[in-house]
Amino acid sequence: MAGAKNHDYHILDPDIWPFIGSMSALTFTTGMVMYMHADEAAFPEGLWRIVLGLGIAGLIATFFGWFSKIVNEAQRGDHTPVVQLHMRYGMILFIASEVMFFVGWFWSWFDFALFPAPLAYDSAAGLWSSLVGQEGAAAAATFPPEGVHVLDAFDLPLLNTLILLCSGTTVTWAHHCLINGDRDGLKKGLWLTIGLGALFSAVQAYEYSHATFPFGGTNYSSAFYMATGFHGFHVLVGTIFLIVCLRRTYLGHFTPRQHFGFEAAAWYWHFVDVVWLFLFITVYVWGGWGAEVH
Amino acid sequence: MATTAEGFDAHHEDHAHDHADHKPGFFARWFMSTNHKDIGTLYLIFAIIAGVIGGAISGAMRAELAAPGLQYLGTFVDLLGGDGSSFDQQGHMWNVLITAHGLIMVFFMVMPAMIGGFGNWFVPLMIGAPDMAFPRMNNISFWLTVAGFLSLLFSMFVPGGTGMGAGVGWTVYAPLSTSGSVGPAVDFAIFSLHLAGAGSILGATNFITTIFNMRAPGMTLHKMPLFVWSVLVTAFLLLLALPVLAAAITMLLTDRNFGTTFFDPAGGGDPVLYQHLFWFFGHPEVYIMILPGFGMISQIVATFSKKPVFGYLGMAYAMVAIGVVGFIVWAHHMYTVGLDVNTKMYFTAATMVIAVPTGIKIFSWIATMWGGSIEFKSPMVWAMGFIFLFTVGGVTGVVLANGGIDDNLHDTYYVVAHFHYVLSLGAVTSMFAGWYYWFPKMFGRWHSEFLAHLHFWVFFVGVNVIFFPMHFLGLQGMARRYPDYTAAFAYWNEIATIGYMIMAVSIVIFFVNILYAIFFGKKPEANYWGEGATTLEWSLSSPPPFHQFETLPVIEEHHSADDHISPKPANA
Amino acid sequence: MESFETMNFGAFARKKLNFLALLALAVMSFTAVPQAAMAQDSEDVSLVEGAVAEPLETTVTEAEAPGFEYYGPEMIKGQPVSSDEDLLGSMTFQPQYTDNGDYALWMHDAILMPIITVISLFVLGLLLWVVVRYNKRSNQVASRTSHNTLIEVIWTVIPVLILVVIAVPSITLLARQYQSPPEDAITIKANGYQWYWGYEYVDNGGFEVVSNMLSEEEALDAGEPHQLAVDNRMVVPVGVPIRLQTFGADVIHSFGIPSLWFKLDAVPGRINEKMLTITEPGIYYGQCMELCGARHGYMPIAIEARPLDEFNAWVQSQPGGMTRAQIEAQEAGAAAPAGEDTVEVEGGRSPASSAEDAPLAGEPPVDQAAPTT
Ligand code: HEA
Ligand code: HEA
Ligand code: CUA
Ligand SMILES: [Cu+2]
Repeated sequence: MAGAKNHDYHILDPDIWPFIGSMSALTFTTGMVMYMHADEAAFPEGLWRIVLGLGIAGLIATFFGWFSKIVNEAQRGDHTPVVQLHMRYGMILFIASEVMFFVGWFWSWFDFALFPAPLAYDSAAGLWSSLVGQEGAAAAATFPPEGVHVLDAFDLPLLNTLILLCSGTTVTWAHHCLINGDRDGLKKGLWLTIGLGALFSAVQAYEYSHATFPFGGTNYSSAFYMATGFHGFHVLVGTIFLIVCLRRTYLGHFTPRQHFGFEAAAWYWHFVDVVWLFLFITVYVWGGWGAEVH
Repeated sequence: MATTAEGFDAHHEDHAHDHADHKPGFFARWFMSTNHKDIGTLYLIFAIIAGVIGGAISGAMRAELAAPGLQYLGTFVDLLGGDGSSFDQQGHMWNVLITAHGLIMVFFMVMPAMIGGFGNWFVPLMIGAPDMAFPRMNNISFWLTVAGFLSLLFSMFVPGGTGMGAGVGWTVYAPLSTSGSVGPAVDFAIFSLHLAGAGSILGATNFITTIFNMRAPGMTLHKMPLFVWSVLVTAFLLLLALPVLAAAITMLLTDRNFGTTFFDPAGGGDPVLYQHLFWFFGHPEVYIMILPGFGMISQIVATFSKKPVFGYLGMAYAMVAIGVVGFIVWAHHMYTVGLDVNTKMYFTAATMVIAVPTGIKIFSWIATMWGGSIEFKSPMVWAMGFIFLFTVGGVTGVVLANGGIDDNLHDTYYVVAHFHYVLSLGAVTSMFAGWYYWFPKMFGRWHSEFLAHLHFWVFFVGVNVIFFPMHFLGLQGMARRYPDYTAAFAYWNEIATIGYMIMAVSIVIFFVNILYAIFFGKKPEANYWGEGATTLEWSLSSPPPFHQFETLPVIEEHHSADDHISPKPANA
Repeated sequence: MESFETMNFGAFARKKLNFLALLALAVMSFTAVPQAAMAQDSEDVSLVEGAVAEPLETTVTEAEAPGFEYYGPEMIKGQPVSSDEDLLGSMTFQPQYTDNGDYALWMHDAILMPIITVISLFVLGLLLWVVVRYNKRSNQVASRTSHNTLIEVIWTVIPVLILVVIAVPSITLLARQYQSPPEDAITIKANGYQWYWGYEYVDNGGFEVVSNMLSEEEALDAGEPHQLAVDNRMVVPVGVPIRLQTFGADVIHSFGIPSLWFKLDAVPGRINEKMLTITEPGIYYGQCMELCGARHGYMPIAIEARPLDEFNAWVQSQPGGMTRAQIEAQEAGAAAPAGEDTVEVEGGRSPASSAEDAPLAGEPPVDQAAPTT
């Protein structure tokens, strides 16, 4: 900003979005707590809708406002090579932290799968209960627990694997087009990737809604839904990220030499892809091995 | 590099001063900041407020523990709108107090002060950068920390099971934190960690990027001041450990509210899984709290000994080693959960290994002083206090590391004594050292050196009187997280509470000293510690201009790692 | 629970001193006497009332079984040392009453403590020396030394050696603590409840003794330390290996006895197990050592270690209590080897689980524990 700036770093003007963003996050979490305890009369009836809604709206506004600023700054030329390098580092580190987040979910998955707990299934009530300390415990200790009918890994999950792998190639194709100045190809590649992403999410949603085991109740379902669910959430985020890139393409953004926004989206997409491969192998194939298939 | 204090022309900055010092208005400056120094200041103020609250809570705890029986808990319950005559609510109140104390001190005092405060202030200055890599993200890191703190405060006023507030300990073990605590309080506490954690992850990315990409021309990693090294390692620990905590506490949330059974045996879940996940984060976390302190101590010891740091590379890589090994020792917090013998032997051995790189640091600090011409200015006195107190805390850690010994000491006051020696007497002491070292630099006013020394001595006596007797209590078997105890423990508990009162005086002196600086403080020069202070921040005015290094300083070839913190090379 | 309760009344009643106090307790309201409230979980109020309602039955039991006298306070061995009586004693470990405890205590007192003291004093000494020798006045010109490979190697290698010296007995101690119990070990299961302990005598008919803290007056009346004294002690045989199992019924508790160097978490969903052999008859106090909610501080443990024959007598005085000999005789008669042991052993996380999740701490559980009755 002011004066004799003799370097290429990006010095920013004061900005309100961080403040709004964090307060929205607080509003959001507070609203979540209220929502989760709505039935306990701990909070005024229905207030949670307002609080949660405000929080979500604030967060969306923040993402929108903040990233718009970044895009504008990029278009204005504030993103010198060194600033672009920052963004590369930032994105890689962010993905590294995401990897560790999934480590947590895989950890629980492996804990349950490698050291299964003895569960008894009451098929009439559709409920599981622990057999610890009781007769027959050893025999009942299986994973997935007795009574869980897993999804067939080589049915829709395999299809989804192919869809995601495919989308990995289309996004790479788009990237190549971008580098080679083929903006038409870029658009096509992005459209395809987004389409495949949406298809993946649709298949996943279909599968969830047809799974025979409920969300809670067992270690299997808990770890299954939370791990694949967080992956699904990341697919959505990645898809939105790609949609933003597509929109920017139509606006004429990105040059063959400078298009980090696109690259970040592509990296993220590949990351989501790799997580899925691990999920597919460990959760769907290995994790359901030997269990009854729905 | 550091040589640059001389090598770099400080006057040059002064020209730039006028326009570089153009500051935004009040709201824009403090609520919308994108300036690393202002954000650092915000963090420091926040940490001091949190420290006072956390310290006051520990005062309430010490008051309650001064004598057997329940004295004050009922009153606290009444204050929070509960039923103070209910025995269960009193017991719950105790758990709420220790939970709040632990979380506040760890997440809202030490971390914000060290990384957010000193890290923000001095990492860019020390590497010759104009600001952080992501100034806007820097700001949300801070405000997310504030949001986390507010969420924790909210939790105090809503039901949490047996009473108001979250009474689950800072470790939030399931199933006490799931089926064992109905009501919104624990959810608020969990979200508090989510928010603060998100802020810290973003902060970590910011620091790593800044340190990797924004070093002044010529400043290789091996010429970087050790404080910057310490923040770099810390940032990696944050980046890799916090997301695992995020996953773990998300599991708590869904177990609590959406029927998953991660930690509920009825559905095949495993309470011990939570402990693994927590400590996989938790142990690196304790090094997160101490490494920046190590970094500050290195700067201070070198400055006042007027010598380069002894064994610079060893010092840097010792921190890296501590960080790496810190990831594979977590289960030493779980020796009594029913681990099998091989696991326990492994964790015993791995844990003890950390004593080696830590020892390298301790001895290198002493070797730095050896042969020096030491001036005992207040930061140096604090630093020397740190070295001794941290050693005492560290060696009791080695005792605890022995799985067979820990069978008796786990969850006793011996552990409380251990970690307060490394935290309240270690990390906090290093923070005060850093505070007096850089106070005039940051705020452009001299504190009183006399008061700073007095602060040290009163604090030193006070905290030792609080925490040393806790070793005895722990050996005798007094359990942690107890609001009450059998008569035999009365004596040492009373002493500890007396120690608290002494310590409290020192905190008053700390604030008096700030007031002194505000009203009577003289203006410091750029390099007020003189020849020993050689890192780049000393080439800038005190306080530095709003935007520094508009022309980047250059570190020349002949400044080798060896004269890291030395003044001019002989031939210059 | 039903049967445990009845059993409990008997136990209450036989403790004549406490009986009066308990009677008073049942009458007094919860809120009026918060101290009393400490001792009783709200659910247990009925239990106490029951005790009052059925004094007849208990007298009958007493008449049948040979009178069992619990130890008085003179037999208290494992408790914190009061600073008033023995200041030095109050600064270190409680005296130990197991072999492993002796070994661990030796390791701490002879190895760890001296080492850490010397290291701390050494560092302090160096600091003081530096203060004296290298202050600005004594040493006006600072040296420029920043390297000395030899010294760096030394201060790396010596700590390594020290750690090896620590590691050897440490590993030995662990190995000793994990010795698997012999087949004739007596299995007792400590169940942690919010907020009291239940001791299940798995090998002796499976009855459970519910143990609550005594209120301050009750404890003082009984001559026992407040906060540690309980109504029903966990009676165990002395000199005989006990296969001590822990289990958490609601949240995690931890079964910790400082004077026996024993601590094992009571975790829901798994049964932990460790061997304990007490060397002397006596009373040993312990406490819950894992945060378990509002009354975490108020669920003490009191172990009463008795010679085997007295233990057997006590077992027989308990409703449903049978000595091993009786059980064997009965089984021989019925010729139906139900193997009461196997029932409880199969618990925990699956036996298939290895390493970290092994249901029984230490040795592979099932094969070890399943006795060949
Ligand atoms: C700043 C924070 C910090 C630091 C640096 C440490 C450092 C260490 N800690 Fe500590 N620890 C905590 C914070 C910290 N700890 C906290 C908060 C808890 C409790 C959490 C809870 O339950 O709530 C805890 C608990 C804890 C336990 C679990 C106890 C229990 O719950 O039963 C153990 C066990 O192994 C342990 C060990 C160690 C060791 C071996 C080190 C080592 O890194 C220490 C190394 C340092 C030295 C050894 C001194 C200097 C070295 C020399 C002078 C060289 C020569 C020395 C030798 C050869 C020995 N710590
Ligand atoms: C950094 C961490 C930290 C710090 C500094 C402290 C400081 C203190 N703590 Fe504690 N404590 C914990 C972390 C910390 N604690 C944790 C994690 C637990 C475990 C909780 C649990 O069981 O879940 C615990 C538990 C704990 C217990 C055990 C409770 C129990 O088990 O029942 C007790 C008992 O006396 C205690 C006392 C104290 C006291 C008297 C201080 C005093 O030293 C306090 C005096 C105050 C200060 C020293 C702070 C001053 C600092 C500032 C004012 C900021 C300055 C800022 C700048 C310079 C920028 N703490
Ligand atoms: Cu039970 Cu603590
Ligand atoms: Cu640790």
